[in-house]
Amino acid sequence: MTVDNRLPSPFGTLIDRNQTVEFSFEKKTISGYAGDTVASALAANNQWLLSRSFKYHRPRGVLTMAGQDANSMVQLPSDPNALADRIDISPGLKVMGQNYSGSLTRDRNAVLGLVSRFLPVAFYYKAFFKPRGMWQKWAPFFRHRAGLGRIDQNYQADYHDKQYQFYDVAVVGGGPAGLAAALAAADSGASVLLVDENVRLGGSLNYARNDAEGTQSGRVRDALVARVKANAKIVAMSEATCNGWFSDNWLPIICRKRLYKVRAKQTILCVGAIEQPAIFHNNDLPGVMLGSAAQRLIKLYAVRPGQSAVVLTGNNDGYAVALDLIDAGVEVKAIVDLRDAPVYDAIAEHVSSLGISVKVGHAVYAAKRNASRLHLGSVDVRKIVDRGHCATESETINCDTLCMSVGYTPTYQLICQAGGRLSYDDDSAMFTLSDCPENCYTAGSVNGYWHLEDVISDAERAAIIATQALDVDRREVPSAVVHQQTQSPNHPWPIFAHPKGCEFVDFDEDLQIADIVNATRDGYQHIQLVKRYSTCGMGPSQGRHSALATARLVADATERTVAQTGVTTARPPFSAEHLAHSAGRSFYPARRSNMHYRHLESGAQMLQAGAWYRPAYYGQAPAREDCIQREVDNVRNNVGLIDVSTLGGIEVRGVDAGEFLNRFYTFGFLKQPVGRARYALLTNEAGVVIDDGVACRFGEQHYYVTATTGGADRVYQSMLKWNAQWRLDVDIANVTSAYAGVNIAGPNARKVLAKLCTDIDLSAAAFPYMGVREGTVAGIAARVIRVGFVGELGYEVHVPQHAGEALWDALINAGEDCAIAPFGVEAQRLLRLEKGHIIIGQDTDAMSNPTEVQMGWAVSKLKPFFVGGRTLQELGRLPLKRCLVGFVIDDPTAPIPLESHLVVDGDKMTGRVTSVNYSPTLGKPIGLAYVPPNCAETGGNFTIKSSGGVLVVATVVDLPFYDADNRRQEL
Amino acid sequence: MDPSISPTQTSRRSSLYRRHSQLGAEFHRFGEAIAVHHYASDEATQAQSLGLADLSTLPRVGFKGAGTPAWAEQCGVHLPHQPNWASEQPDGTLVARLSSSELLMIGDYSGHSPLIDRLAAADRPERVYPLPRADSHSWLALCGSHAADTLAKVCAVDLRPQHFENGQIAQTSLAKINAIILRSDIGNLTNYAIFSDSSSVEYLWDSLLDAMAEHRGSPVGLEALANNR
Repeated sequence: MTVDNRLPSPFGTLIDRNQTVEFSFEKKTISGYAGDTVASALAANNQWLLSRSFKYHRPRGVLTMAGQDANSMVQLPSDPNALADRIDISPGLKVMGQNYSGSLTRDRNAVLGLVSRFLPVAFYYKAFFKPRGMWQKWAPFFRHRAGLGRIDQNYQADYHDKQYQFYDVAVVGGGPAGLAAALAAADSGASVLLVDENVRLGGSLNYARNDAEGTQSGRVRDALVARVKANAKIVAMSEATCNGWFSDNWLPIICRKRLYKVRAKQTILCVGAIEQPAIFHNNDLPGVMLGSAAQRLIKLYAVRPGQSAVVLTGNNDGYAVALDLIDAGVEVKAIVDLRDAPVYDAIAEHVSSLGISVKVGHAVYAAKRNASRLHLGSVDVRKIVDRGHCATESETINCDTLCMSVGYTPTYQLICQAGGRLSYDDDSAMFTLSDCPENCYTAGSVNGYWHLEDVISDAERAAIIATQALDVDRREVPSAVVHQQTQSPNHPWPIFAHPKGCEFVDFDEDLQIADIVNATRDGYQHIQLVKRYSTCGMGPSQGRHSALATARLVADATERTVAQTGVTTARPPFSAEHLAHSAGRSFYPARRSNMHYRHLESGAQMLQAGAWYRPAYYGQAPAREDCIQREVDNVRNNVGLIDVSTLGGIEVRGVDAGEFLNRFYTFGFLKQPVGRARYALLTNEAGVVIDDGVACRFGEQHYYVTATTGGADRVYQSMLKWNAQWRLDVDIANVTSAYAGVNIAGPNARKVLAKLCTDIDLSAAAFPYMGVREGTVAGIAARVIRVGFVGELGYEVHVPQHAGEALWDALINAGEDCAIAPFGVEAQRLLRLEKGHIIIGQDTDAMSNPTEVQMGWAVSKLKPFFVGGRTLQELGRLPLKRCLVGFVIDDPTAPIPLESHLVVDGDKMTGRVTSVNYSPTLGKPIGLAYVPPNCAETGGNFTIKSSGGVLVVATVVDLPFYDADNRRQEL
Repeated sequence: MDPSISPTQTSRRSSLYRRHSQLGAEFHRFGEAIAVHHYASDEATQAQSLGLADLSTLPRVGFKGAGTPAWAEQCGVHLPHQPNWASEQPDGTLVARLSSSELLMIGDYSGHSPLIDRLAAADRPERVYPLPRADSHSWLALCGSHAADTLAKVCAVDLRPQHFENGQIAQTSLAKINAIILRSDIGNLTNYAIFSDSSSVEYLWDSLLDAMAEHRGSPVGLEALANNR
């Protein structure tokens, strides 16, 4: 394929002719230039067919060259639905067409177009839902044939991130209005962000023609851009899309692989207008494109849109397109002007003097295929006899290009997201916008200004208003700009129905005029219902080219005005975005104790408890059970060391510290002696157990309360909340991370600790079970607490966080003679289970109260108040619904159940297992389970439905399983 | 200042010391603390551009409670007039007022703070409660002309120098964890002191380095900071 459509310089402002780039399309090598998009490079190589349509598999090609339509969607290796007119070519890029069966040029599914009359709007609602269940059979068929690109399920996400930015003024749109607004805003001293989705600032000035000579646009563009680039107050961001507007001018702006989260005090939306297609038979053929698409091809990419062209216009812009086509060497066969009384501007006057055939009051009634059936071959031009109706006499004009310039819609999406109101002006046949929120303004063609001078003046005015709101501008606000144009650029009815249909209103979804009209006839007359019933506007282009025509058709069919009909709601995102942009850089906060690397060095397998990393057990994963059993055995018979730095730590200090704890926890704390710890069980207002710990009294006005690893923050916040009501004279501080802690446990614990702790009398008499002391361990200031969570003689030693590793090292060294060994969370879970201690959140759920988990002993009956107390009183009057009981499994052949296995009574579920493990100490499986009260009696049996449905008989036993008289922990 | 020593020569160790060692850090003693003196031979240029330093082992302390402001003033502390501002004391200690009744006192980069030592030893009246800020919070310093750009990738608050003055404090979320950010320039060097949950310091260190990569930021030692005083 030769590069016969490429134009010479100075055409092609975006391409670098010194850099040739080869890529492939449909497995054929294509050559383009750096700066080319896939679509422009293909067009330069005379490849106009890009893909197949969603429903009827019709050939589709360039429509807008602006990244606004679904016709240009192609498949990249890891990116479906990529816009060919937005994706830059790169060496080796592999591009394929989409949604075809066989080949792009010979799509077997194109036959669907022949039966389109049998697939009317919402056909799947009507035809394939009866008899019941039929849709399930049809759905795979339709879904296989309809669709877009294919996702790469092996795609490896690459690096995306986010960044916050702050500006006084954000200007969205880098066309003449945006450039002028940015400059005017910056002149006031405001910091300005200028956002433009294109590679080159200037918007339509880069391609549109504003004078007969064709020089004004470039001149104005260069001058404005030079001033913007020289202005230090302006940050210009190209290839950046403002993809939404959120409250208080929060703007998500996507630029390459980053999502900028911009806060602007003022926003000026200079978002321009979107050119609209005309609607006639076969208006979707490759070769039929918007006038602005042809201009972009010529000016930006130096690509000739075809050899011979017809321009269909409803305004003077079409005449400018004709001039550009002529400049590019395209033979302009005719200009078909829909207007019956056009008011020419200077450009149109110039064109009319060139001798080109101008057919006023005529329309393109139909486009016809060429011999390949994949491209435009000719157009059927007829005189308009009434709105939307043409004469029977026709003239066929052979051409390979048809450029449409029949009107625009303001780019209303962001403005409507901001709360702006979209109306329709019957005189101009245009949508108009109003009611922008405070601190948000619009300017330029989105306001209906089309003359370049008007656009710039309107933008400067908006900027002055915006900067005055910032209180940095003393300039007088100019009066509103008076329109210079005398005739609207919008033709009121560029819509021509055809007996054979195929006049596409919505290219994305292959919706024709009859589909929209029939939706209203089916009773769906509201525009929102038409959208959902027909799917019009629900495709990738989100109604950019269909909303106006649909509104006109629905208004006509329902005998309302277009203003009364309105358009559907515009929601973010403005354009398709990758999920990676929303995800951004992944933040997964992780917490590690100061001893973390000692665990790793000792071969620990780590687990995550919330954000914390904790050692599960020490040893190789395949030997997990042996490791755990060995660690348990060492604690029971010798001495072990576990990192408990993750436990919550909360200081409660002040005159009312005791009173506060008395109200907050279930136990009594007022009479707790200094130097003692007391179990602290926490319930919520519903009497549900939500946390536990120990309250250590280090002074009359000083308690140090521990909380569960996962519950520390919640407990702290709850304390603050309650004291905001109680107003007690108390200070509450979360010091969880301030302390590293270990539990040294086992019969030899005292012996090891005594080597390092000489300023605390560790004897049982001087420092009994549940005593607390302050002193030093290995020379480190420490809080030492005698606790018995694992059921052995044990001391929790809490030291300043940064000394955690040093404490660990010291204890390991001191215990070397005794063969001290670290133990992990899994061993601790088994040890506490043997001791019958519950774990909040594992053995309790959102309904557990203290009585049913056998913790009634931890609830004071004497206190006038505590959180949840009133509810527990009421619950105490009701019979228990379930009990948490200890159980053993005596049958050595029975499988060991798992946590959450059900307790059953015949077919009925009556409870569940909360904890279960094999106890090396008892030599049998033990566990905790919720059972009905009538099964809770010691010695009774209940049934557990184990893995594979195997029923296991469990026997209820008294808790604890081990050391019932607590002699070991009180050594 | 002692010649190079090992961070494990003291019981007080930053959780990041292994990372520092892997980067070839040379540790020195600063007062009673051991911290990174430098990684590379000349980090002054790096600090001017974008550097991250770990000061977690240096002195700091907190006091909280209704009686705290009056007590602190009695002890000769010049208090910032309003919360979320910090003021420098004559001995170089920074006093950050986190609320009307909560103070965070931060020593200078020498590892000495006579004020902190004096307050720690002083008798405290009722309703003045010490807070173990030296352990509850890590202390990182993000410095250089690209520091604000880096923070903009992990924090929603506008911390650009022209909007966030020297001495100003933001108590906010940084890379999804709570943080106290204090702008505390060192001479002409833009610097942000970041205090966050000490157990999360490795996570935060890695997150900041990741955000810094775009601007070619890297860790720097205390020498690079102290040289700007």
